[in-house]
Amino acid sequence: MAGKKESTFINMVLVLFIVTLVASAALGGLYELTKEPIAAAKLAKKLKAIKEVVPEFDNNPSEEMYSVEMPTGDLLEFYPAKKGDELVGTAVKTFTTNGFSGYIWIMVGFKPDGTINNYSVLEHKETPGLGTKMEPWFKTTDPAKAKCSILGKNPGTANLTVSKDGGDIDAITAATISSRAFLDAVQTAYNEYNKQMEGGTK
Amino acid sequence: MNTKVLVAPSPHVHSGDSIQKNMYGVVFAMLPALLFSFFYFGLGALVVTLTAVASCYLFEFLIQKYILKTEVSINDGSALITGILLAFNVPSNLPIWIIMIGALVAIGIGKMTFGGLGNNVFNPALVGRVFLLISFPVQMTSWPVSKGLTSGYIDVETGATPLAIIKEGLKSGQSLSSLMDKIPSNMDMFLGNMGGSMGEIAGAALVLGLIYMLIRKIITWHIPVAVIGSVAILTGILHMVDPEAYAGPVFHILTGGLLLGAIFMATDYVTSPMSNKGMIIYGVGIGVLTVVIRVFGAYPEGVSFAILIMNAFVPLINVYVKPKRFGEKRK
Amino acid sequence: MTNKDIFLRGFFKENAVFALLLGMCPTLGVTSSATNGLGMGLATTFVLIMSNLVISLVSSFIPDKVKIPSFIVIIASFVTMVDLLMAGYVPALHEQLGVFIPLIVVNCVVLGRAEAFASKNKMVPSIIDGVSMGLGFAMALTMLGAIREFFGSGKMFGVTLFNETYGMLVFVLAPGAFIALGYLIAFINRVRKV
Repeated sequence: MAGKKESTFINMVLVLFIVTLVASAALGGLYELTKEPIAAAKLAKKLKAIKEVVPEFDNNPSEEMYSVEMPTGDLLEFYPAKKGDELVGTAVKTFTTNGFSGYIWIMVGFKPDGTINNYSVLEHKETPGLGTKMEPWFKTTDPAKAKCSILGKNPGTANLTVSKDGGDIDAITAATISSRAFLDAVQTAYNEYNKQMEGGTK
Repeated sequence: MNTKVLVAPSPHVHSGDSIQKNMYGVVFAMLPALLFSFFYFGLGALVVTLTAVASCYLFEFLIQKYILKTEVSINDGSALITGILLAFNVPSNLPIWIIMIGALVAIGIGKMTFGGLGNNVFNPALVGRVFLLISFPVQMTSWPVSKGLTSGYIDVETGATPLAIIKEGLKSGQSLSSLMDKIPSNMDMFLGNMGGSMGEIAGAALVLGLIYMLIRKIITWHIPVAVIGSVAILTGILHMVDPEAYAGPVFHILTGGLLLGAIFMATDYVTSPMSNKGMIIYGVGIGVLTVVIRVFGAYPEGVSFAILIMNAFVPLINVYVKPKRFGEKRK
Repeated sequence: MTNKDIFLRGFFKENAVFALLLGMCPTLGVTSSATNGLGMGLATTFVLIMSNLVISLVSSFIPDKVKIPSFIVIIASFVTMVDLLMAGYVPALHEQLGVFIPLIVVNCVVLGRAEAFASKNKMVPSIIDGVSMGLGFAMALTMLGAIREFFGSGKMFGVTLFNETYGMLVFVLAPGAFIALGYLIAFINRVRKV
């Protein structure tokens, strides 16, 4: 090709410098442009997860978020949902390490009296087809499977362990380990939530 | 008729062995275990076995006739073995449509895709079994409890296999000695009195089959001994290091599909090495992988994965451990 | 070679997935559903077109010894742009595709076309080559995703066709990707021969 540049030192340095300069300028510009939509999308996702698990609210729970450090070094995050000035529920981002493989992250919502309003599984690596069923399994409304659901139960009074271990909840078929882990995460959330409530700090 | 003169290099003496003869020999050796499973699981075992065998024949016929358009060779007995082995590897209350998918995968993907009997790299029945295990984990891990001849096909009580009980218990922090009370005694396990898939429960019947095949020289001792021996040694060492965390060798040999795998599936002619030395390498590989998967892996049982993984190594083993050529001088 | 030839070659005859077997990592990794496959395919198409366009324009100014580093910087910039744009405007798809978006940088199709075609050709043919290669890649990924989604969970583009309990989970997982891709390539080869 005509006008092909020789591979001299000065040419190479110059060309690479210009290429990287233009690329970084373009990326910097685009980053500024997309910064707000990305932040908005992240917030919307978090709010959606919170909305799913607590009753209707009109404040911004992620602004009033507070957290508690667990022995593993991970944070339990609390999102108080308020309507007017009244606390209608708290969404707790909780986790367990007892799963089949790695962490399970769950957002669980408590009503002020401690009963479970709803939950949503955020992240997990359980076996597909077995442990993955925990999203629908523990919130079933099928009356025949009332023993599977944890909705409306209070971990302070009900025994939130699988029935195989003498608890009140039926485990996912063929996925007892994942079920135990899930309930462990919920229990952890409740224990910490209770401590916060009793402390009266919030 | 074939009127052409057949010209072939030596050897010219035929021992009288044929594919059919060996295949039906294997089937005969499986009969004790088959009868055992009928005895323990009743009607369910019969339904599952018949479905598996019939679907294997059907799919082999359809694929050979209409897709590959080759000579139909369903009479060589290999579909019968695949069918029975597939049935041996599943719970006796498995729905019929799942068994048919398993047979289609075993014959279609496991065997015919590679070009039919003799060309397949992986044991077809195990390909079918692992496909089902990953696809339908709930149905494939709900083992019916043995209720004897009268037990039905569906609506049976289900229970966990001893391996699953141990795995789950250890995971939730219980000690091994407390779990040992929950599982059947060694004698019960040897006689098949435990939860599990149809063919894996009856150690005694499987050993009978092994003895028959050894006497009839259908297989040699190398693979079963290498598999069982390496599992025994490895779990023995682990058990000695920490008896509270690792079950002993007898437990590991009698549970799961270890005997079934070592005797009937690892020894498949097509997918195992040719030389004796190769067979021992192959068998030890299966044994070690089985223990690794059982003790450290996510699944409670690892025999079928171990055999499939070692199947993939067979061509490599055959290249490096060559059988001596006929008439070749020892160097 | 006419523009039409270039297009047909990239889209079918030298299809990145079915004929060249390039870009296997996203092909196997993200095609668990038809939507994911299409999304990944279109993201790659965008990167291919833009990088082909820019490289065909600037390649004559780039000395041979720094050709590959320059191309990689250009490609990586476009990939980062796609990554940022998707995170901002289609967050759901962005989360599904996850790490595979940044990995477009190392997709051999992109660098391969930059080196083998765009650096030696003028702008218009290079754009056509990018469009055809990209769409061919997108088509292959969508087909594979549709097959896996159908057998794995009984859906197509998220629309339920049969009850999920009858789905074969293995197709949603990695082994199913290999099995489905193998049979799909066999089928395409058969069609090609006829």
